[in-house]
Amino acid sequence: MYLGPPPRSSLVLALLFSGPLLADDLFLDSQPLPQVLTATRLKQSAAAVPGSMTVIDSELIKASGARDITELLRLVPGMMVGYTTGNQAAVNYHGTNASDARRMQVLIDGRSVYRAGLATVDWSDIPVAMEDIERIEVFRGPNTVSYGANALMAVVNILTRSPANSQGTRMKITQGERGINDYYASQGVGWETGNLRLSVSGQQDDGFDSDALGADRRDSRRLNRFSLAVSQTLNQQQSIDWQFNAKEGSNQRPYTYKPVFDGITEGGTNSDVTAKDYAGSLRWNFDFSPEHSLYIQGSAQQWDRRQIWKACDAKVSFSPELTQLWQLNSNYAEKLARHMDNYTSAPPGSAAEQALANQVLDQWKNGGGKDSVCGNIDQSTRESRYDLELQDTLSLTDSLRLVSGMNYRYDRADSDTYFNGTLDDNTWRLFGHLEWRASEHWLLQGGAMFEDTRLSGNSLTPRVAVNYLINPRHGLRAVYSEAIRSPDMFENNVNWSYRVTNLSSPAYGQNSGQYFVKTRGPGNLDKERMRSRELGYNGFFADIGLNVDVKLFYDEITDMISEPLRNNQYIASNANSSRFTGTETQLDWRVSASDRLRLTYAYVDASATNPLDQQQTARNSGSAGWLREWGQGWSSALFYYGDDALNQYRFERVDMRVAKRIALGKANLELAGMLQQRLDNQPTTWADNNYDQRHVLYFSAELEF
Amino acid sequence: MSHPPSWMTHLFTARVWRRCLLLASLLFATPTWAAEILLTAAEDGPGVQAFVQALGQKRPEDRVTFTPLKDLPAPAHLPSTVRLILLDLKSLDWRLQDNQGPPTLVLRISRLQARQHLGHSVPPRISLLWSDPPLERQLRLIADILPQARRIGVLYGIDSEFLLHELRQHATSMGLEIVSQPWDNINDSRPLQTLFKSSDVLLGLDDPQLYNPKTAKNLLLSSYARQLPLIGPNAGFVKAGSLASTYSDQSDWLDVLDRLLDHSPSSWPRSLYPEHFKVVGNPQVARSLGIEQVDEAAAAVRLAEGEKRP
Repeated sequence: MYLGPPPRSSLVLALLFSGPLLADDLFLDSQPLPQVLTATRLKQSAAAVPGSMTVIDSELIKASGARDITELLRLVPGMMVGYTTGNQAAVNYHGTNASDARRMQVLIDGRSVYRAGLATVDWSDIPVAMEDIERIEVFRGPNTVSYGANALMAVVNILTRSPANSQGTRMKITQGERGINDYYASQGVGWETGNLRLSVSGQQDDGFDSDALGADRRDSRRLNRFSLAVSQTLNQQQSIDWQFNAKEGSNQRPYTYKPVFDGITEGGTNSDVTAKDYAGSLRWNFDFSPEHSLYIQGSAQQWDRRQIWKACDAKVSFSPELTQLWQLNSNYAEKLARHMDNYTSAPPGSAAEQALANQVLDQWKNGGGKDSVCGNIDQSTRESRYDLELQDTLSLTDSLRLVSGMNYRYDRADSDTYFNGTLDDNTWRLFGHLEWRASEHWLLQGGAMFEDTRLSGNSLTPRVAVNYLINPRHGLRAVYSEAIRSPDMFENNVNWSYRVTNLSSPAYGQNSGQYFVKTRGPGNLDKERMRSRELGYNGFFADIGLNVDVKLFYDEITDMISEPLRNNQYIASNANSSRFTGTETQLDWRVSASDRLRLTYAYVDASATNPLDQQQTARNSGSAGWLREWGQGWSSALFYYGDDALNQYRFERVDMRVAKRIALGKANLELAGMLQQRLDNQPTTWADNNYDQRHVLYFSAELEF
Repeated sequence: MSHPPSWMTHLFTARVWRRCLLLASLLFATPTWAAEILLTAAEDGPGVQAFVQALGQKRPEDRVTFTPLKDLPAPAHLPSTVRLILLDLKSLDWRLQDNQGPPTLVLRISRLQARQHLGHSVPPRISLLWSDPPLERQLRLIADILPQARRIGVLYGIDSEFLLHELRQHATSMGLEIVSQPWDNINDSRPLQTLFKSSDVLLGLDDPQLYNPKTAKNLLLSSYARQLPLIGPNAGFVKAGSLASTYSDQSDWLDVLDRLLDHSPSSWPRSLYPEHFKVVGNPQVARSLGIEQVDEAAAAVRLAEGEKRP
């Protein structure tokens, strides 16, 4: 006989008086389980994030078929993805100058890959393979409090797969049109207390096909990478993670050197770059208690760019007198140099200028100054960064959490051309961020960062956000933040001149010559300042699987350094400003277990005192994607990307990826085909970036076991 | 000459009086009411003592005693009127040496452990009271707190595979889909990643090969990274970072035992999940996953009502 449950009333009563778990209860599992998801490890839910966030997860990364991180960023609303050449992406959030993208922080596992001296991100040279990326979190908006200066307009946080989730062997090859030839191989192993992932990868392609005149575009690339990531648990409370990454490769660059003096026809064929990047980092995690944790991360990085090309110009270019004249009055010197044949005697100027000008004219006319002289220009750079960060997370109460820490950074740039030797800088940073859940509905988050940089002084930037949670899945937010960008060494301290070595014939008694043009940075540039205001909504409609994020923004950058980095007449100042207003929407909808739809749209209105800063803003931009699992191992993904005008050129492309997964015993083989079809007939970002065909096709095979 | 009664006399009188009472109670009480309840376990401890004491208080009419396993004779030598309650697996092994023996209730035994110790058959006069949360109840908990979840991801090992059939039956009747994934080598987390891709929520089976202090960190961190909540496998895991679980604690088991002991052992079921239970949730995990906090008492009431009207 089975005994039915007892009368309901007593059961209900018993349940109502259910108390907390008893510590020495014989019936509760007494296994000493560690508390894993502690208050310090748990993050804010999407609706409670103090800003706008786009997460590109591993499913999207794979479905996009993208070979570069920059192509993935097209999935982020408001992100402007352009190309200077086929191997030089220029990515900006909302906009500013199309040739230099230097207002966004880019991190790989917490390590900034923003170049130490030249303050750009060489996307193609980042030593991380797409296959090693677990997800990319893009914080859309300034956040220097959490990510340090240079997190001016957005933060791209690239997170690699943890070694624990990288076990087994993976091998992948990708081949296709436009010279695409990539490979990837990784091996993950685990032991009692740790895991390791080792991967090697490489990439190759031809870049764009032709320049504005129809000539072959010299912008192919070839690279190899090596990556080692290890995580090791020391004991219940401590663990370490360390990584070493290296990359070597060559990036073709078109020959752009134009002789100053007319009639010089000789020249080189390229100014290709050999790029080597190295990075190592070590992070020590310490969990004092479920309420208190700390980490210390140290990293070292080096960027080596070897770039030597042949330059030919009139012998007078290396005239010591012309150099002196340039230093005295660069406008006068340039006017003279450009129109040398028009002058019989020195143009009007001061006595000293005229005296030098007459000497130069004499060299031009009588001293063989018109003769063509060739030599090598070495524009190589070596930049290094050492970074040490300590971050402490303290959960003061169930509703109050404090994240604080400090950071020290040492940057060094070594370049004869740019810095006439070596230049270095130290940065100290202190930051604190407080999260207070005032009630079930209200969440207040705020913080500040203090930064002191030896070359450009100190600054304090605050940030405050209020989230109102209608319920745990739907939240409204209002954010005000200030951010700064320190002028980089190049902008502020450039000491730019070209030394030409191995001259084909001696000039003025020397086998090498200092090119007469010399440019110096002002040295007293102030930081750029950003004030950002944002209103937003984030909601998850759980019953239909729809996630929506909408934001309105009003961003202003003042004291903006917007002069392009040119070696003749570079006069940097903080004189400019820009303003960006608009709205962004992001929609991620899991329509069914096998369908996922994703839409993004951004409307950005840019106005800037320097027209160059309006270049890289598309007023309307967005993406649409449809991912589907068809069953029996078949899957497909269809994406549309569009910008109405990026640097005046429209961009519209449809990408389609079809893949088939085949189980081979314990192994898995995935074969995929990828087609990218441009819908417009325009160049990409610049007139020199053209493809012969509007489509490209490539295939990949990946084996996992 | 009369002397005032000494303290010795008082003690003697009290003892006689108590014995008379005991005798009277044995003479006049109905046999079904006054039972000899004998608890045993290989290991004694404060938890065991607290439980024995609480059961004694719950059943003042019965004689509730605890004797360590090492001090007991073979089960067949115990009077058949005794109701035996076993508190661990060692005592079960001891009980299994005799087919005959007093009627026995086995506590703190999970479905997995029973299968390992007994195979498919349950010897006569032994009732197994399951310690692992019933699968159907856990599924109902999922349906209650995550109504949109359809695909229930379940990791299983060699020991727990036999539960899948039953789990699927319950899930089908509730319109849920079980996505199962074997996990033979806990040092290889690829099965987790495969499972996470095709699940809305994870249900933990109470299989200590899979869910233990060594695997907890990787399991919880990697499922959290994918924003996948874990339900179960037991109350202890909720503190570690699982979203919620049903469980029965000492007070629930006392109620269950109280009811069983009220009846003749011949009516005891061969096995039983406790009808008394509670729900425990982890509010911080819920908040971080954007899920309403689990109202533990209300959820338990709803589940209990659901079990009454399946």
